Amino acid sequence: MAPKPPKSSSSKGKSQGDEKEDVLQAVVIADTFETKFAPFTLERPRCLLPLANAPIVEYTLDFLAQSGVQEIFFSAGSHTDQVEKYIDESKWRLNTSPFKKFTFLKSAATSVGDVMRDLDQKGLVNGDFLAVSGDVISNFTIAEALAKHKARRQKDKNAIMTMLLREIGPRQRSRQRSIIPTFVMDPTKDRCLHYEESRPGQGSGLAFDPNLLSQAELEIRQDLVDCRIDICTPEMLSLWSDNFDNQSPRKDFLHGVLKDYELNGKTIHTHIVSDYFASRVGDLGAYATLSREITSRWTFPACPDVDAKYKLSRQGVYREDGVTLARSCRVKPCSIIGRGASIGDRSVVQDSVIGRHCQIGRNVHIRHAYIWDHAVVEDDVKILRAIIGDEAVIGKGCSIGEGALISFGVRLDQGRHIASGCRITKARSSNNGSTSSDKALVGEAGKGYCYVEEEDDEIKPVGLVYQREEFAASNSSFSSTDSQDSEVHSGHGGLRSESFATTGSDDDGTDRFHHEAVHSLFERMKIGTHQDDVRVELMGLRFAQNATEDQVRRSVVNALMKYISGQGEAENFEISVVVKQSIARYGNLIQRDQSQEATTAGVSFLLEAQKDLLHRKGGEQILLHLAKELYDQDIFDEEVFSDWWTDERSESTEELRGIKEFSRQFLDWLAAADEEGESASETEDEEVDEED
Amino acid sequence: MAPDSGSRTPGLTSFLRSLSSEPDETCIEQFIALLRRRQIRHSRPCAVATAYLLRRVVAQAKAEPGKLVEAARLLQRVQEVGRRLVAAQPRELVVGNVVRRVLGLIREEQDNERGEGDISGLSSEVGIESGLQTPQIPSLGKGDPLSSLNGTTRATADMQALHTSQSSAGVDTRRTTQPASRPSLQPSHTTFAGAPPVTSMFSLLSHPTMSSPRSSPAPASPSGTATPHPTGSNDIRQEVIEGIGEIIDELEQSDEQIASYALEHIHANEVILTYSSSTTVQRFLLKAASKRKFTVIHAESYPNNQRKVHALVTGNTNSDHSDALTTEAFHKTLTSAGITVILIPDSAIFALMSRVNKVILSTHAILSNGALVATSGTKLVAKAAKAHHVPVVVLSGTYKLSPKYPYDPDMYIEYGDVSKVFPYQDGELVESVQVENPILEFVGPECVDMYVTNLGGHAPSYLYRIVRDQYRDEDVDI
Repeated sequence: MAPKPPKSSSSKGKSQGDEKEDVLQAVVIADTFETKFAPFTLERPRCLLPLANAPIVEYTLDFLAQSGVQEIFFSAGSHTDQVEKYIDESKWRLNTSPFKKFTFLKSAATSVGDVMRDLDQKGLVNGDFLAVSGDVISNFTIAEALAKHKARRQKDKNAIMTMLLREIGPRQRSRQRSIIPTFVMDPTKDRCLHYEESRPGQGSGLAFDPNLLSQAELEIRQDLVDCRIDICTPEMLSLWSDNFDNQSPRKDFLHGVLKDYELNGKTIHTHIVSDYFASRVGDLGAYATLSREITSRWTFPACPDVDAKYKLSRQGVYREDGVTLARSCRVKPCSIIGRGASIGDRSVVQDSVIGRHCQIGRNVHIRHAYIWDHAVVEDDVKILRAIIGDEAVIGKGCSIGEGALISFGVRLDQGRHIASGCRITKARSSNNGSTSSDKALVGEAGKGYCYVEEEDDEIKPVGLVYQREEFAASNSSFSSTDSQDSEVHSGHGGLRSESFATTGSDDDGTDRFHHEAVHSLFERMKIGTHQDDVRVELMGLRFAQNATEDQVRRSVVNALMKYISGQGEAENFEISVVVKQSIARYGNLIQRDQSQEATTAGVSFLLEAQKDLLHRKGGEQILLHLAKELYDQDIFDEEVFSDWWTDERSESTEELRGIKEFSRQFLDWLAAADEEGESASETEDEEVDEED
Repeated sequence: MAPDSGSRTPGLTSFLRSLSSEPDETCIEQFIALLRRRQIRHSRPCAVATAYLLRRVVAQAKAEPGKLVEAARLLQRVQEVGRRLVAAQPRELVVGNVVRRVLGLIREEQDNERGEGDISGLSSEVGIESGLQTPQIPSLGKGDPLSSLNGTTRATADMQALHTSQSSAGVDTRRTTQPASRPSLQPSHTTFAGAPPVTSMFSLLSHPTMSSPRSSPAPASPSGTATPHPTGSNDIRQEVIEGIGEIIDELEQSDEQIASYALEHIHANEVILTYSSSTTVQRFLLKAASKRKFTVIHAESYPNNQRKVHALVTGNTNSDHSDALTTEAFHKTLTSAGITVILIPDSAIFALMSRVNKVILSTHAILSNGALVATSGTKLVAKAAKAHHVPVVVLSGTYKLSPKYPYDPDMYIEYGDVSKVFPYQDGELVESVQVENPILEFVGPECVDMYVTNLGGHAPSYLYRIVRDQYRDEDVDI
C-alpha cells in the first residue's frame, strides 16, 4: 500500500444519515488475560506478536473490516500503550479506515468479564454487536450468521447470543489444543444447551441437567473449534453484569447462563461453519498450526500475498521484495521470507517464517521455526520448532531444541545448546527482579536468562510441539485453565466452579444466595459501609434465602478476597496494608459465633480463602498476610492455623499446596512463637516486612 | 441483487453506494482494501469499480486556488491513484487497463489544449489547414515517434479497422439505438482539435489521429478555427468525466455487443463446448439460441466454479450470489431457450472433444500477445481442442485487453482457497500433503484461434493492434 502521511486520528464526523441499518459494532478483546505466550508477552502484547510476518491483530481487524464492521471498541489489556501506539499509527486510524469509530476501552479490567461489565456500564453499545477475541483469523463472512441471529431475535427476545463454531474433522491438528470444548446442542433450533470444557487426557464426564434429555433431538459435539466470534446483544452485557464474578466468556459465562436457563430464560445459539476458515491464535500450538495454514492458503484471502508485497513462487515460498538468497541455499515449501532478509550459502529453510531484515548465516538449518524481525542467526546453527524473537542473536554453531522460545533481544554466545522447551528472555518479569544473564545458559557474551513461570511446579511444557498436551496450560492467576478445570471434573468444587457446580449438590437457591451475597457484600465494602450494617444485611439475606452457615462463610470469603485483591491492585497498596485494613474493618463478619465450633469454622474459612485466592493475582501473598492479620487481630487462635495446616483438604491439589507453601513462614513463626511464649509480635512484623 | 443480509458485507454494491458520500481518498483506500481482501474480484466488477472510482477522483481533483485543473496535474493524480490500485492487486489486470484508458483520455485533452495553444501561436501567417494536414505539429509528432515512422502501415491498418467496425455496425444494436449518447462519427473526425473526448472503441479505431493527425482520413475542417474551442477556458475535468462515463457505458454494454456477433460464429446443429461460468458466454449463447438450435456441453470447472456452473445450467441462481453474476441476473437458462445442455465433469472434456465443433471460452484477461489469463482448467480445454483441431473462440470485452507482455507468466496466477480442493474437516492429510488451488491459469496465444471482442472477431496476430489503439504508449507502465 502506498505510504501516506498519517493524518489526524480523530475519526471524521461524517454521519451516515442515509444508512437504513444501524452500524455494526464490534468489541475486540485483545488481551485474553492468559500467559500462554510468555515470555514474549512480558514485553509485547499478544495481539502484536507477528504471525506469518504480520501482527496478529491485523488479521482480526481485517476480518472485522471484511464483515462490514464500522465501529470498534478495542480493549487492549496489558501493554495498552504499545497497542494504542500501534493502532494509532496503522491504517485503521486514518480517515480512510473502514472503521468510522475506533474507541479504546480504558479500564483496569483483569478478565474478559470485567471488560464486558465495563462496556455495559458505559453503555456504548446500542445494538447487536460482535465480540471477538483479538487473535481471530477468519475468512468467514458474517452476513449469513448475522441474518439468522436477527431473525431469531425478532421471534424471541431471549436469544441473546450466537456463537460461531468451526467444524473440524477427527484428529485434526486444531483439535490438539489445551481445551476441548463440549457442546450439547439442540440441532433443530441451533441452540446450545450445555457447555463444558475439558482438557485432553482427562476423562470428560458430562454433567448436565437430566431434563435436557427430554429434548427430541440432542447433539453432543466435541468436533467444534470455538473461534470466539460471538454475535451478541446488549442484553448479554447486562447478564455479564448480573453474573459479576464471571471471568471467562466460555467456562464461566456460557456455562453459567446455560445452566441458569430456568432462571433467566436466555438462550444461546450456535452457527456452525463448515466451509470457511476460522480459528484463533489461542496458544503456541495454534500459532504453529496457523502459520502453516496461512502459508498453505487455508485462510485465503488472509495470506501473506494479500498485500501484494509478497510474491508466491511455484514452490509455495513467499518472498517479499529485497530478499537476498545465496545461490546454494535452499528454501523449501511453506516458507515466508520477509523484506530485506538474507540467507547464506548452504542454508536450508523449511516450513518456516523468516522475519524482515533477518540475517541467516551460512549452513544454517531452520525447520518449522519462526524467526521474527531483525534477528541474526550466525553460521552453522540448527533451529527446530522454535521461535526466535525480534533482534535476538544466535551465535555461531548454536543448536536450538524443539519448542524453545528465545525472546526479544536475547543474545546467545557461540556454540550454545539450548534444550527443548527452554524459554529465554531478557525482560524483567514480575516475580524475578534480577535481569542478570545466566552465563551458563547463554554463554559469556550472551544476554538473557531462563524464564520460569510463577508458581511453576509442573514440568513446563513445550509450546510448539504438539505431543505434549500440557504445553498451553497457563498459570496466570486469571487463566481459567488449570485449577478450575481439574476441579470441575474431579468433583469437589472450587469456589468459582462450585457456583455453577455440575455435581448437583447445590440447587439454584443456594447459587442465587451466593451470587447475591457476594455481590452485595462486595458493593458494601467498596463504598465502605460499616461492618455492623453489612452484617445486618448479610443476616437478612441469609434468612431470606435460608442459607447455611457454610454458604454464608463462603460468600464472606469470596467477597472479602475480591475486595482485598481489588484494593491491592487498584491503589497499589502494599498487600500487607490492605489486608490489615480490611480485616480491621470487616473482621467482625468473619467470626460470628463464639461457640466451641469456632475452630472448625475457622479452618473452613481458611480453606475457602485458600481456594478463592488460587484465582487471584498475588493470592499467596494475600493468604500469608491474611493469616497473619487474623492472628494478630485475635480473630482466630493458633489452633485454627495449625489445624488448617495439617488439614488434608488444604493440599488436595497441586495448586492448593503451592499457595499454601507460601504461608509456611507464618506457620513456622507461629510454632516458634508458641515455644518462646507470647513476646514476639514486633519480630514478626519485621519478618513479614522483609518478605515483601 | 443483494439481500438484506448481504448489503452489510462490503463488496461492489456497498462500494458503489459509498462512492457518492465519501471523500475520494476514503474511497480509494476502501477499494484497495476490497481488492486486497478479494471482496471485489473478477474482471467486470473490478473494471466497473475502477471506472467509477476514477470518475470520482477526477471530479474531486483539486485545482490551485483561482485556477482550473490542469491536465498535467490531473494526469499526475490519476497516475498516482492508478499505481496504488495496481499495486494492491496486480493480478486484476483490468484495473490497470481502466486506469490506462482514463490516462489516455486526459492525455488526449492535454494534446487538444496544446494543439490549441499551437494554433493560436501560429496565428494568421501559417494556415490552420496546413498545420493540421502536415505532420509538423511538434508536440504531436513527439508524442508518438513510432507512429510517424510507420505511418503508412498504420494508415492502412486503420482503414481496415474502420472497415471492420463499419461492417459490423449494422448488427451493433447499441450504436443504432442510442446514437445521441455519444459523439457521432462525423464530428469526431472533423473537430480533431476540440471534439468531445473520443473514447468508444469504435471511434478510437476510426480515429487514430490522437497521436498522428496525418492519418486522419477526413480533411481537417476549418470549423476548428471558425469556432474558437472552449477547452482552453473550460474545466478539463468535465470532458474527462464524460469520457469515463463512456467507458462505464462500454463496460455495461460489452456483453451485449459481443453477443451481437453470436450468429456469425454459432451455426445450426453445432456442438459447442464451454467451460466455467461467464455472463459473456451465457449471453452469447442465448443470443444464438434465439435463432438457431445447437447443443452446448458445459464443463463444470471444479473446484472453484462448479457451483456457479450448476446454478447457471439449472437457472437456480439464488443459491449462490457471486460477483461474476452481478448486474444481470440470469432470467433465462439455455435449456429454457430450447438448447440441449450437457453438463460434464472436467475429466470428460477430452473424451467429448472429438464431437465438439467449437469451443467458446471466457477469460479473466488477455495480454498483449494474445495469451489468456483465465480460470484454471482453461488450458486443458484449449489443449484438448488443439489436439482435435477444434477451433477455440475466446470472448472478451476490450477492457480485458491488457498491454502487458507476459514476461513472467507465473505472476498472473493466483492461488486460492485450498479448502475447496480438500475440505479442512478431512484433516488428517492436511499436515502431510501440500494442497494447491490455482484460481487462474496462463494460456498461451497459440491455443486460441479467434478472439471476439465488442469490436468484432480478431485473429490473435491482430490483437496488438487493438492494444495500441486502446492505450497510449506512455501509459503501458502506469
